[in-house]
Amino acid sequence: MAGLISLVGVAVLAGTVLVVTFVISAWFGRPIVFGYDDGPAQPIAFPHTVHAGVGPLLNADGSPRLDEEGQPQRVNVMSGLGLDCTFCHRMAATEAAATIPSVGLCMSCHVTVGDGNDEIEKLRQAADTGTPIDWTRVHRVPDHVHFVHEAHIRFFTERDGVPASQVCSTCHGEVAAMTTVRQDRSLKMSDCVDCHRDNGAPTDCTTCHY
Amino acid sequence: MGEKSWGMVIDVDKCTGCQACVVACQSENNIPINEEEHFNQRRAIEWIRVERYWEGEFPDVKARFIPILCQHCGEAPCEPVCPVFATYHNDQGLNVQVYNRCVGTRFCANNCPYHVRFFNFWEPEWPETLTNQLNPDVTVRSRGIMEKCTFCVQRIRRTERESERDGVDLDDGDRALSPACVNACPTSALVFGDFADPESKVSRLKEQEEKEDGRAYRLLENYGTEPSVVYLKKVEEGAKSASHG
Ligand code: HEC
Ligand code: HEC
Ligand code: HEC
Ligand code: HEC
Ligand code: HEC
Repeated sequence: MAGLISLVGVAVLAGTVLVVTFVISAWFGRPIVFGYDDGPAQPIAFPHTVHAGVGPLLNADGSPRLDEEGQPQRVNVMSGLGLDCTFCHRMAATEAAATIPSVGLCMSCHVTVGDGNDEIEKLRQAADTGTPIDWTRVHRVPDHVHFVHEAHIRFFTERDGVPASQVCSTCHGEVAAMTTVRQDRSLKMSDCVDCHRDNGAPTDCTTCHY
Repeated sequence: MGEKSWGMVIDVDKCTGCQACVVACQSENNIPINEEEHFNQRRAIEWIRVERYWEGEFPDVKARFIPILCQHCGEAPCEPVCPVFATYHNDQGLNVQVYNRCVGTRFCANNCPYHVRFFNFWEPEWPETLTNQLNPDVTVRSRGIMEKCTFCVQRIRRTERESERDGVDLDDGDRALSPACVNACPTSALVFGDFADPESKVSRLKEQEEKEDGRAYRLLENYGTEPSVVYLKKVEEGAKSASHG
């Protein structure tokens, strides 16, 4: 009998610990138990590492791409690419949504670059048939929240005297080093409001909810 | 977001009862379509409505119109009764309804003497053909939530932000700033602006009309709700002031 009771006790304790851990981690908005996942798979495996990374050309997994002699390989036209984030996410510094580039913008390079690559063939096919690519959203605040890129980029570029593309990592992490984009910061209400308080930004509910 | 006191002046003398404000509001703010059945159940949602009164006997009758919307009261009866602080007064003189905070007690609507708060008794629905015309800047309110006129806060926010971005001052009477109803009014019976700015059109109208024998009045003034909407009564000789209720 005593054995049964202690067994039930242990089970209850274990259950409680599990629930409490989950609640606390959820409370801080960061699911520490499981961690952020790797980000959703995209219809075309578009690697930020190749396009936005700086320095020598990288493989999709972030390792330097080597030529036949084992030297870091550079693309003739644009060494290491290192495209500015706002080259593709054109509206980040001026509008609410940063926006994802159209197929046309990709094709300005990929008409000629990347023959024989399966992923790029998918891209060309989309361009030929005139179908937009159905990218899966990674970051999304709920419908009742209104987020605006422009105000943030303006504030941080002015305060720190840096170009827009160096502000992105504050909220998105080092996207340039990500093969698939994943979320890096909770971006829950406490996260937003904490930063707003620290920087004297408005915290009235109608800043974000309407 | 500077110190502001948003408000409206409504000239009842100019209102022709055309309902353009109602339609504009309905589409700007993603308000579900009211069908006959909703009206019969008194569950229709109209953030602004035009009330009609008849004066006199046929054939000597006159129709009187008065547009009524949330008065954004300085001493709002709806605010203290909310158990979860979903409705409050912000520093810009707006009576705010935070939809996601609302738990649907409906105390606020019961306590509002103007009947301008509306409860979502159903999940909002639009015909397939209209789903693409929803305004992305306005939250679609789900079932169980109270809603009401916001003075089109989404337009205020956007214009404020864009004026900051472009380094220009907010323009009093800017159409991008004004609520949809004001923009739609063909006779300019509705004027929107900042009462904290003595130079704004609404401030000047209010000052002028609050003088002795001016036309200014407010709805149910004696309740002490201190509305942010100022009405100007009919100028017609012998007309009763079209007061509410
Ligand atoms: C060559 C164009 C290009 C460049 C340059 C680029 N991106 Fe992207 N970005 C994309 C595309 C296409 C997607 C959508 C596919 C995906 O999510 O991987 C995307 C997705 C994203 C997302 C996820 C969006 C979501 O769904 O939430 C973020 C965040 C992002 N990029 C940030 C950056 C940052 C920061 C930089 C600069 C370091 C950058 N991007 C540079 C094309 C680009
Ligand atoms: C400024 C020119 C440029 C633009 C714009 C550009 N790319 Fe690329 N992309 C490149 C180069 C260069 C490579 C490397 C080609 C190679 O592997 O030899 C590349 C590689 C790729 C690869 C293959 C990566 C790998 O190694 O597996 C994909 C997929 C790709 N790009 C998709 C896109 C998409 C989608 C867009 C539009 C959002 C885009 N690119 C826009 C220049 C560009
Ligand atoms: C203050 C935090 C913050 C900063 C700084 C920031 N973002 Fe975002 N970003 C977000 C949030 C939050 C979302 C989700 C927005 C939503 O769901 O409406 C998002 C969404 C996105 C998206 C996908 C949706 C869209 O808006 O098109 C892209 C792409 C993106 N960000 C790129 C960027 C780039 C590029 C930069 C730097 C120029 C940047 N972000 C800077 C917080 C930030
Ligand atoms: C890293 C800090 C930081 C984070 C995180 C952040 N913000 Fe901000 N936000 C700011 C600052 C600073 C401003 C003020 C910009 C200004 O002064 O114009 C601002 C301004 C804004 C504005 C515009 C206010 C206006 O002027 O109309 C909105 C909307 C906003 N933030 C929403 C959000 C939301 C939603 C989130 C969370 C998803 C968020 N912010 C996360 C720093 C942050
Ligand atoms: C800086 C932006 C910001 C401000 C200011 C802000 N919120 Fe939020 N709020 C958010 C974000 C982002 C979320 C969504 C979090 C998530 O991803 O679930 C949220 C979510 C919520 C939720 C949860 C809704 C749900 O469905 O779980 C409530 C309730 C809420 N906010 C109430 C308020 C109230 C009340 C105020 C004013 C005192 C306020 N918020 C001010 C950004 C903000």
